[in-house]
Amino acid sequence: MTGYILRRLIQLIPVLFLASIGIWAMVYAVPGSPIGAIVGENATQEQIADAMQRLGLNRPLHEQYWSWLTGALVGDFGQSIQSREPVLHLIMARVPATLQLGLFSILVGLLLGVPVAIISALFPNTWIDRVLSAWSALALGVPTFWLGILLILFFGVQLRWLPAVSTYVPFFEDPLGALRNILLPALTLGTYVSGIFARFLRASLLGELKADYVRTARSKGLPERDVVGRHVMRNALLPFVTIVGLMLAAFVGGTVVTEAVFTYPGIGRLLIQAIGVRDYPLIQGCILFVLVIYVLMNVLVDVLYAYIDPRIEYR
Amino acid sequence: MTSAPGAPPVLSVRNLSVTFTGSGRDVPAVRDISFDVHAGEVLGIVGESGSGKSVTSLAITGLLPPTARVSGSIRVGKVEVTTADAETLRHMRGREVGMIFQDPTTTLNPVLPIGRQVIEGQVSHGFVAASEAPARAAALLREVDIPDPDARIGQYPHQFSGGMRQRAVIAMAMAGQKRLIIADEPTTALDVTVQAQVLAVLAKRQAETGAAVILITHDLGVVAETADRVAVMYGGRIVETGTVREIFAAPRHPYTVGLLQSLPRLDVVADRLVPIPGQPPTPARLPPGCAFRPRCPIGRDRPLCAAEDPALHAEAGRATACHFPDEIPTLLGAPLPPRAAATPKPAAATLPAPLLEVEKLQVHFPIRTGLLRRQTGTVRAVDGVSLSVRPGETLGLVGESGCGKTTTGRAIMGLIRATGGSIRFGGDEVTTMDPAALRRTRRNMQYIFQDPYASLNPIKTVGDIVAEPLRIHGLFEDAGGMKRVAELFELVGLSRTMLGRYPAEFSGGQKQRIGIARALALAPKLLILDEPVAALDVSIQAQVVNLLQDLQKELGLAYLFIAHDLSVVRHICNRVAVMYLGRIVEQADRDTLYEQPAHPYTQSLLSAVPVPDPARRGHTGRIVLQGDIPSPAKPPSGCPFHPRCFRAEARCSTEIPAFRDLATQPTRAACHFAAPRLPEQAA
Repeated sequence: MTGYILRRLIQLIPVLFLASIGIWAMVYAVPGSPIGAIVGENATQEQIADAMQRLGLNRPLHEQYWSWLTGALVGDFGQSIQSREPVLHLIMARVPATLQLGLFSILVGLLLGVPVAIISALFPNTWIDRVLSAWSALALGVPTFWLGILLILFFGVQLRWLPAVSTYVPFFEDPLGALRNILLPALTLGTYVSGIFARFLRASLLGELKADYVRTARSKGLPERDVVGRHVMRNALLPFVTIVGLMLAAFVGGTVVTEAVFTYPGIGRLLIQAIGVRDYPLIQGCILFVLVIYVLMNVLVDVLYAYIDPRIEYR
Repeated sequence: MTSAPGAPPVLSVRNLSVTFTGSGRDVPAVRDISFDVHAGEVLGIVGESGSGKSVTSLAITGLLPPTARVSGSIRVGKVEVTTADAETLRHMRGREVGMIFQDPTTTLNPVLPIGRQVIEGQVSHGFVAASEAPARAAALLREVDIPDPDARIGQYPHQFSGGMRQRAVIAMAMAGQKRLIIADEPTTALDVTVQAQVLAVLAKRQAETGAAVILITHDLGVVAETADRVAVMYGGRIVETGTVREIFAAPRHPYTVGLLQSLPRLDVVADRLVPIPGQPPTPARLPPGCAFRPRCPIGRDRPLCAAEDPALHAEAGRATACHFPDEIPTLLGAPLPPRAAATPKPAAATLPAPLLEVEKLQVHFPIRTGLLRRQTGTVRAVDGVSLSVRPGETLGLVGESGCGKTTTGRAIMGLIRATGGSIRFGGDEVTTMDPAALRRTRRNMQYIFQDPYASLNPIKTVGDIVAEPLRIHGLFEDAGGMKRVAELFELVGLSRTMLGRYPAEFSGGQKQRIGIARALALAPKLLILDEPVAALDVSIQAQVVNLLQDLQKELGLAYLFIAHDLSVVRHICNRVAVMYLGRIVEQADRDTLYEQPAHPYTQSLLSAVPVPDPARRGHTGRIVLQGDIPSPAKPPSGCPFHPRCFRAEARCSTEIPAFRDLATQPTRAACHFAAPRLPEQAA
């Protein structure tokens, strides 16, 4: 198992290398230069040349890339052009907030989605299945910014139960305060993923319920809750783990729209701000961070697979 | 171990009908059937796909889907299944009835340990305390001859071989002294030697528990060897019942006669099988009157048979549902002569040069492990196979699953790379050909797959499927376009009006005909047939076998016929090669191989085939092989068969026997002690 994880991590090196070229080059491929943002619109040629010199932007491209890459390897993504702070610091400061929001959103999604999927799959094509399927479609289809604004209006502005602007409160320092601040954005994202989870798990459960081993389990006279709980669920979870892992990666990587609606201090907002001022080192750092989260989450999902499915042997 | 006379039956079914209502119209799957099963008795239910036999078994256990409407009566002990509530049925399943299903690969849950699956029913019903469960599970596995059960209970299904899985299912079904066991095609997915093991275990456990058994199968050989009474089902009805001897010796329904005649047999000679024409009806489209009429030699043109479904007439313990039972004996004709001893073959000088010559073929797959994917072992799937096929002849390649016969076929076809040896086609070496030459050569070899359902692209019309090889090779226009495709359809017995239809509209037998037409499109010289009839019903199998024989005569084709069914191989092949663990262990002309098998493995295989003749039941010559086929990644030292061989001596575990001509008979065999079976063994 350790060998397998190690091998998977080594396999990530070429992936990340190729991606790093893409991320680095992308910034230079789009029109508009960071220089304008740094020196201001009315700068003279000398001021521009001076800034280019200082930031190393006049060196050959491969040299620029090389120094960026070697820096990135030791955690040095350069300085933010805007705030002059190290990019890594800026990202790391936002990670706990994003992580907390991501995990809570997935939790809400599972709590809302899994029961819906199970009830739908156990009574397929009945009125309750149709109602629940319609609900999942709705949850999936409603734009998150609109749902977020609606929740703010209702709970934040009308009822004044919860803050309309969510700040980051660490859960382990102040659980109640953290919940008050995270509930609305987590509900917004959670509702959205619950639709995905419910549809995915329902299909997976329906497929498994047709399997021969289910008939065997029933022929033993097992009660239906054991047939579903012990036999079907574990098999149905296999493909489901993938989708949960991917959604978690997406949320931890930053949820741009929701963070913007709730003015929540996560990675997503950091990225948006960086793009607004063409803070190239920060953009590159944020995207690379999101990418690393994604690929690591994929490895984690594969490892989880082996834990659930004894047929998978990692050598 | 039969119950006392007068004891009530364990299961009593009266006027049972099952109709599925889900699809908008009513589909009658089972129509008005009645039967009893007593303790200690085996009732065989025989029928083809769609006959209603599996629906019957699900109805008895109350496991039908909610779309099924059930009428009539099913009594299991004191429980009336048709009216009982879910909880009563659940208790009945846990206490009274055990079920064994067809494919042990899918009937066990892949992610739960075997031991837990074997015992959980008993725990759930409170017969076994949770603390005793592992010990009880191990004891149950021991009763079905699974070695080292204490370690095995913690393993998962994929760590068991197919035969062990099915024995574990038997242990599960019989746990807790069940009174009724329903075995639905319990050995259909298994190899013949494993089938013998599993049937032996089933019989042993039945003798120990005195359970009543319903054995549902399409295999008349298995029925003849294990059943006491037989019910033949067709179109959702029971069309004939009787004791097993009566059914086989003097069938009283034209369908039973047809089934027996369409079966290729090891023990009698027939130049040609007598198939039942047409297709078995699907429950959704039953013909009016007698369901068998469209295929029946007696009733086909009679208005009475078209107008009225005959009732099941009972008479002296037998029953038949036919308007004209007195005419049945005319169908039987003269009994087929038993097989004569092998006749000498013509001298080798008159034989044409081989079309296909394979020498010392090897297909090895590397096993890679570790961080750096270093090769740590080799799967020797094919390990030195030599064979040849002459124009116009059929070479049978037989062996059990995992022996490498399919890999051999695919390597010859070039679908898998050979890692050693040579393959010559028409004198040209195939393994070293450049891609263009290989393409030209491949035109002359075509492959027919086992599964007619999976090997046709569902979104193409069958006309396009058959035309595809012509298009790929750029020959479509030259060959005559769709006109050629229509000719191919007629060649394989399909109508040219079907060209525009999709594969889903065809039955299994028709799909296999489409597969054959596609293979013939390029006018090949050699067909590699990989289990071409294994997925088909008996009556349809005979049609396809006859078609293959006709095509061979008409077109002068050579066949490499890969199969596990020794009866079909005996019927169709000129010569036969037997494979075990990647090697050919015996090769001879057909009659020599079947009459005087020299290799102990061939002898075991042949003895394990159930003979569809209950009069020969209990013949003492059966060799039940112990254990399972070893892994080709770790073949045993010396002769690969020695751990399971009844003739093995010390030398066999150290020295690999050469594949050599025998002095005593025209056979090549790889065995230190190759010799025909002794009379006392053959019995």
